[in-house]
Amino acid sequence: MSVINLSKEGRVKAFQKRGMAFVVIMFITLAVVLICRLSYLMICKADYYGEIARELHERERAVKAKRGVLYDRNGTVIAGNVSVSTISVIHSQIKEPERVIEILSKELGLDTEYVRKRVEKISSREKVKSNVPKETSDIIREYNLAGVMVDEDYKRYYPYSTLASHVIGFTGADNQGIIGLEVTYDKYLQGQDGAILTLTNARGIEIENAAENRKEPVNGKGLLLSLDINIQQYAEQAAKKVLEQKQAKAASIIVMNPQNGEIYAMVTTPEFDLNNPFTAPETDSAGSAQDDGSENKSGKKLSSDELNAMWRNPCISNTYEPGSTFKIITAAAALEENVVKLDDTFSCPGFITVEDRRIRCHKAGGHGAETFKQGIMNSCNPVFITIGARLGVDNFYKYLDRFKVLYKTGVDLPGEAGTIIHKQKNVGAVELATVSFGQSFQITPLRLMATASSIVNGGHTVVPHFGVGIVDDATDRIEKIQYESESGVVSDGVSQTMRSLLEAVVSEGTGKKAYVEGFHIGGKTGTSEKLPRRNGKYIASCLGFAPADNPTVMALVLVDEPQGIYYGGTIAAPVIGELFENILPYLGIEKDSAVSLEE
Amino acid sequence: MKGGRKKVKQQSYYDYSMLILVIFIVAFGLVMVYSASSYTAQTKQEYNYDAAYFLKKQTWAVLLGILAMLIVSKFDYRLLIRPIGHLKIRLVTCLYLLSIVLQIVVLFAGKELNGSKRWLNIGGMGFQPSEITKIAVILYTSYLIYKAPRAMNKGLGVVRVFIFMLIPIMAVAIENFSTALVIGVIMAGICFVSSKKKWFYGIAALICTGIGGLFIVLGGAYRVERFEIWRNIETHEKGHQIRQGMYAIASGGMFGTGLGQSMQKLGFIPEAFNDMIFTIICEELGLFGAIVVVSMFLILIWRIFIIAVNAPDLFGGLICAGVLIHIALQVILNICVVTNFVPATGVSLPFISYGGTSVSILLAEMGLVLSVSNRIESR
Repeated sequence: MSVINLSKEGRVKAFQKRGMAFVVIMFITLAVVLICRLSYLMICKADYYGEIARELHERERAVKAKRGVLYDRNGTVIAGNVSVSTISVIHSQIKEPERVIEILSKELGLDTEYVRKRVEKISSREKVKSNVPKETSDIIREYNLAGVMVDEDYKRYYPYSTLASHVIGFTGADNQGIIGLEVTYDKYLQGQDGAILTLTNARGIEIENAAENRKEPVNGKGLLLSLDINIQQYAEQAAKKVLEQKQAKAASIIVMNPQNGEIYAMVTTPEFDLNNPFTAPETDSAGSAQDDGSENKSGKKLSSDELNAMWRNPCISNTYEPGSTFKIITAAAALEENVVKLDDTFSCPGFITVEDRRIRCHKAGGHGAETFKQGIMNSCNPVFITIGARLGVDNFYKYLDRFKVLYKTGVDLPGEAGTIIHKQKNVGAVELATVSFGQSFQITPLRLMATASSIVNGGHTVVPHFGVGIVDDATDRIEKIQYESESGVVSDGVSQTMRSLLEAVVSEGTGKKAYVEGFHIGGKTGTSEKLPRRNGKYIASCLGFAPADNPTVMALVLVDEPQGIYYGGTIAAPVIGELFENILPYLGIEKDSAVSLEE
Repeated sequence: MKGGRKKVKQQSYYDYSMLILVIFIVAFGLVMVYSASSYTAQTKQEYNYDAAYFLKKQTWAVLLGILAMLIVSKFDYRLLIRPIGHLKIRLVTCLYLLSIVLQIVVLFAGKELNGSKRWLNIGGMGFQPSEITKIAVILYTSYLIYKAPRAMNKGLGVVRVFIFMLIPIMAVAIENFSTALVIGVIMAGICFVSSKKKWFYGIAALICTGIGGLFIVLGGAYRVERFEIWRNIETHEKGHQIRQGMYAIASGGMFGTGLGQSMQKLGFIPEAFNDMIFTIICEELGLFGAIVVVSMFLILIWRIFIIAVNAPDLFGGLICAGVLIHIALQVILNICVVTNFVPATGVSLPFISYGGTSVSILLAEMGLVLSVSNRIESR
């Protein structure tokens, strides 16, 4: 009774079955098409998408490469690395939050609330403290706390903290050089960071037991410098002393080997602490050059302008009027061009008239009648104006070019300033006269040294530099750094003459105070009035070299804005003397007993 | 002729192989839901950090569904179109009306999720009325056609069916366009099967494609954007889910990374256990696993087809055809979406994707198909 009678109408007809079959065939066809699509994706595109997916899943934990070490010429480490750690917490892995907070705040010396905030923050990874000393992080690791990560890292460390700070420079957070040699040799020092590749989920949490991919870091190469920490320290002491005695604004000393351009020391006081380069140095930290640079000196935060001023290296970045020290160049050019002989006589009434200008000599009454040699020893302006005029503009500029005065020295430090001088076509008699005794143009102190070196070293150019060799710590091999040198700047004879003339300046002339008993020392003093004129600001300078007959060391002292007496011969020359007294024996330059006997 | 009841019992053809296949597919679905959802469940407080959170919920739905399937399969499907008692109303009509009512209720009292009101909460259990609409449309369309099969050869008869069905479909479309589309295609498919004039549907399909195209161009920024995402899946910022799915599929390779070893389910694919579950199958089981899954559906479709063509009456045949189209359409659409063949729409993978209402209703539909198979007279 319950069975429903099926009329013929109610049956599934053939065309309806065909309709169903059509639907099924459509489905099968589409399914096959989709399987083809899947095969295409999973076989042909597998590598492409697989690579993207792998990058997505892999987290790169950088393994910092050790930055290359800087060695001074004796092999002493002056820029090294210390192991430090970064302590961080992973919220989801912490099991005993209270204990973690307690231990971390105790061991790291942090406020409990500060640590609690970090521990209780829901994030994949929260940094608690970085630059934690290794001893502290080792203790924390000992506790074996779940969710506390200790990652080792390297930090640049300068054992002599303030020593040669402007030269060495320092590095930033990404291990990149910011100033000084750290910048110039960055590509050697940096090395290549390695990485640990781990699989992580979308929240960046590492998956346990997943295979690790490790890429070992390549440590940076070391750098052997010509810098000598002992000479640098002597120089720093001398500079500091003169700075304080003369209440000067700054004092700079450069010590260099005039034969090959290796710089032994480059000082600008005040130096700053390389381990804390963003804080001002303590103002009266006399003799703290070797202070161990304990962190967090009470230095105030400096503006970026103040920082740049502090980091600036005036020896290469500042130009000044060299003044009388430049007479070395004028004299050498005149001798080389044969426009003057040593016994040519001149007369100095205390001034000289060039065109309509009266240019005064530094000695008000004048030097009277004098030979050329005496003219150099007296540093007499009219003498040099006269020989400059004898040379003429074209010859003068020929020698400026040959002596490289017009160019940068090419020193391996960033930020070297170029020479500022009249264009040759604009030089008239007055300009030529002023240039002849070192005025109305500006060069860097290092430029003066490099040119003076080429004149007294027998006549070859030198490129002043610090970098001597790249040290491969793995193989202990040192790859020498080559520097260019051109010969024939001046003839041997002229060089010889210049050396004896400059020795006479020290033994009998304006540079007397640079004299050190028992040594042959050559030199030249200079006093330059800073621009604008007549505001009483001067730079006292003195260049000295030894031994005078075959110089192996040359030094330049600049005292910027000394108070009171400002003559180079009075202020700067004694610094050279004092410096040489210390470093000549150190450099193994022997006393010549004959010198003292002669006296 | 002996007694009707006895005769039916003797000649019954209960499709056990299909039953087992269905149970196998849902069991496989449970495994995959667990694999794809455990990470998400484990890491979120709203799921009590319980790795089996989704598995448990899905298991209950599956058990309920299997029970429903077995019960439905034992009843005569023709009960649906018989008047209840003395009332003039039939079960199939009740279901049809119920689906419309539920769909209207959900518009007002529904729980909002991801910006759409699609959920009703009854006794602490959420369910999607649109899934009920699917089965109601299948049954009511079949019933209407069964009552007047010849009308399907005339335009007016088809329009009548369309008008009846337009009401629940529109009600669904307000909140859930892709489900409405699926229901519409199921209905049109049933009409197509029952009609003699197949060419008419070819033309209609072309017209619909045209209208659909216009709809995309003129239908507001939302749909244009979907189109843009589809075309620039690797660069478009909103293509994230599909793009991540593509990475999962492609990193599966031939044999996959192994069950439970998917990387992409670790938060890279949002809600990987939902519509994107096929990508996790591809990643963990590889091309091999994907082909096996597609093949299982092919066999299932084949079994339903066999039952449909042998159905004792047009009503049963059309029910089977409707279920067949429902499953086939969702499988094809889902895989099309995850392989970026068509613009993204929210269509789940039948029996496998997480979703209690969906799997229960699907199992109940399978019960109907089994019920039809039970009435087949062997010749």
